[in-house]
Amino acid sequence: VNSTIQEPQRALDRPPPRQRRRASFDVLRVPGLGRFLRWRGSRTALQVPVLAISLLMIAHAFWGPQLAPKNLAALLTWVHFRGLVVLVLLLGGNLFCMACPFMLPRDLARRWFTPQWAWPRVLRNKWLAIGLFVLVLFAYELFDLWSSPWWTGVLIVTYFAAALIVDSLFHRASFCKYVCPVGQFNFLSSTLSPLEVAVREQGICGDCRTKDCIRGVQGAVNNTADLKAGRQLPIVQRGCELALFQPRKVGNLDCTFCLDCVYACPHDNVGILARLPAEQLAISGTRSGIGKVERRFDFTVLATIFTFGALLNAFAMTSPVYAVEQWLATMTGLRIEWPILIGLFTVGLVLEPAILLGTAALSTRVFVRSRESLLAIVNRFARSLIPLGFGVWLAHYGFHFFTGCLTVIPVAQNAALQTFGWPLLGAPLWQLGGLPESVVFPMEVGFLGLGLLGSWMVAWSIAGELAPRRAWRGFAPWALLHLLLFSTALWIMMQPMDMRGTFLGG
Amino acid sequence: MPRNLPAWLGVGVVLTVCIGCRPAASGTRDVQVDLTVNPSPPLVGDAEVSLTLTDAGGMPLQGADVRLEGNMNHAGMKPSFAELREVEPGRYAGTLQFTMGGDWFILVMAETPDGKTVQRKIDVRGVRSP
Repeated sequence: VNSTIQEPQRALDRPPPRQRRRASFDVLRVPGLGRFLRWRGSRTALQVPVLAISLLMIAHAFWGPQLAPKNLAALLTWVHFRGLVVLVLLLGGNLFCMACPFMLPRDLARRWFTPQWAWPRVLRNKWLAIGLFVLVLFAYELFDLWSSPWWTGVLIVTYFAAALIVDSLFHRASFCKYVCPVGQFNFLSSTLSPLEVAVREQGICGDCRTKDCIRGVQGAVNNTADLKAGRQLPIVQRGCELALFQPRKVGNLDCTFCLDCVYACPHDNVGILARLPAEQLAISGTRSGIGKVERRFDFTVLATIFTFGALLNAFAMTSPVYAVEQWLATMTGLRIEWPILIGLFTVGLVLEPAILLGTAALSTRVFVRSRESLLAIVNRFARSLIPLGFGVWLAHYGFHFFTGCLTVIPVAQNAALQTFGWPLLGAPLWQLGGLPESVVFPMEVGFLGLGLLGSWMVAWSIAGELAPRRAWRGFAPWALLHLLLFSTALWIMMQPMDMRGTFLGG
Repeated sequence: MPRNLPAWLGVGVVLTVCIGCRPAASGTRDVQVDLTVNPSPPLVGDAEVSLTLTDAGGMPLQGADVRLEGNMNHAGMKPSFAELREVEPGRYAGTLQFTMGGDWFILVMAETPDGKTVQRKIDVRGVRSP
C-alpha cells in the first residue's frame, strides 16, 4: 500500500489555526475501549459485522419480499442506517466511516493489486462528489428508493463496486476523499461532533522528523543491498490516505476516523479528543489536505447542497409537495415526473440558494462597507449553514428512526421464518413500532433549534472576523437567513407526513 | 493478472446481480379479489373496507377466512391488521386503520372452506391527512 504524501517542512513552522483544545477527555485513554481502538485490527473488527449485515441486506434485497416494510435492505438502509449515522455523528464522531464496509473488499483487493494511478488533478476537489450527492437525492425521489428493496440492493451493490474499482485503480483513499457522497455527508456532519482525531501535544510534533502519521511507517532495513540501492521499502503501516497531516489538521473535515495516524505515530501523540462541536467551523486559515475552506467554492456548494438538500428531501415527504407537483403538471401539461422533479431541484438547490445567499452577502457587504466580492463573502459564510443543515437531517432521519426503530425485530423474525421455514427468531411481533409521533416531534424541534443556534454562533464568529467593529451588521443578514431556513424546516416538520411513492398515478 | 481485472469483476457482479436476480411475480389468479375503501379517496383514520371474492366462473366464494394487513410503502411503519366478516355471500367487510398519509398497500390473505389460499397485494394510493 502506498502512502507517500509529503507536506513541505515549512508547514510545521506555521502556527496552527486558532482552535482551543480540550484534551481532558481522550477516548483512546478510556479503559477497555481505548485499548480496543489502539489495537490495529479494531477497524477490521468493526467492519466485518457491518459487512456481514450489508451482505444480508443485499441477499434480502434481491431474494426477499419486494415489500419495503418487510424487507431488511429497505428497512435498514432508509430507517436504521440513516438514523443511526446522524445520531452517532451528533453524539460521537464519524464512526460510520470508521466501520465502513465498502473499504473491506478494497483492502482485500489491494493485497493483490497495487493501484497504479494518482487521482486526476482536475478532480481533486468536491465537484464529483457533489454531483453524485445530488444524483442520489434525485434518484431517491424519482425511483422512490425508499419503497423499492430491489433498487436499494442495486444501490448497495453499486456502492461496493464503485469503491472497489476506484480504489483498485487509484492511489490512497481517492474514493473516500473525492467520490463518496455518504462520506461527504459524514465529513460535513462530523464538524458538529464532539470528538476529533487530533494531536495531543503540538510540541512533540515539532520535534518529529519522520512524519509517519502522513508518510506511513516503512519496513525495517533488513539487508545492505536495499540500503545501497536506495530502494523504497514497503509501507507496513499506512499514514493518512486522505492527506491530513496531523499537526496541521483542523477538525473533522475529510477525516474517516480510520486511525491510521494513531497507529503510525511513533510518539503515541494522536488521540480521539473531546472538543466543542462546530468550533472548527468558526476557524479560518489553511487546513492540511484541504486548504482554506473559506476560499473554496466547491466547499461552499457542498455546504449549500447539504443544507438546502436537507430541506428539499424533507419537503418531498409532505403533502404540499404533491400539490406543487400537480400544479406544475397542470401548468405545463407534463405527464411524466422527471422534468417536474428537475424543475423542483433547480429551484430548491440552485435558484433559491443563489438568491438567498446572494442577498445575504450583498447586505453584509453594504452594512460592513466591505470591498470583498459577493462570492468571497458567500464563501466565508457558507459554512455557517452546516449546523442548521445537520439539524434538518437529524430531525428528518431521527423521525423515521425513532418512530420505526423496533420494526427491525418483526422484519428480521419474518425473514428468518421465510428463509428457514420455522420461527428461528420467534413469531414476528408486528405490533412493535417505535416512539409515537407526539413524542418525536419535540425532539425534531430541539434538533432544529440546536442547528439554528450553531449556525448563529458560527456566523457571529465569521462576522467578527470580517468586520470586528461591525460584527452585528455583518451577522444580521445571515442570522435572518438562518431564521428563515429554520422556520421553513419547522413548517415542513409540522406538515402531515405523506410518504408517497407515486405521482401522476405512475 | 491484468491490472483492470477488479474493475471488470465489479461490473460483472453488478450486472449479474441486477439482471439475474429480480424476483418473479407470484400469486394465484383463479380467484377474483375486489376491494373498496370508504371514504374514497381514503383519509387517515379508520376506513370501512369491503372485499368481494369470486371464483373463475364469477360465483361468490362463501365462508372464507379473510384477513387484511395494511402497510405503508415506506419501511419502518407498524402495519395495521383487520379481520373481515362475511356480510353477504362472497362479500366481506371490516375496519382498517390508516395511521399516516401517503401510499399504502393492503395484503389480502383469505382461506376458503376447501383449503384454497388466496393472497393479493392491492395498492391504496394517496391516503390523505385530514
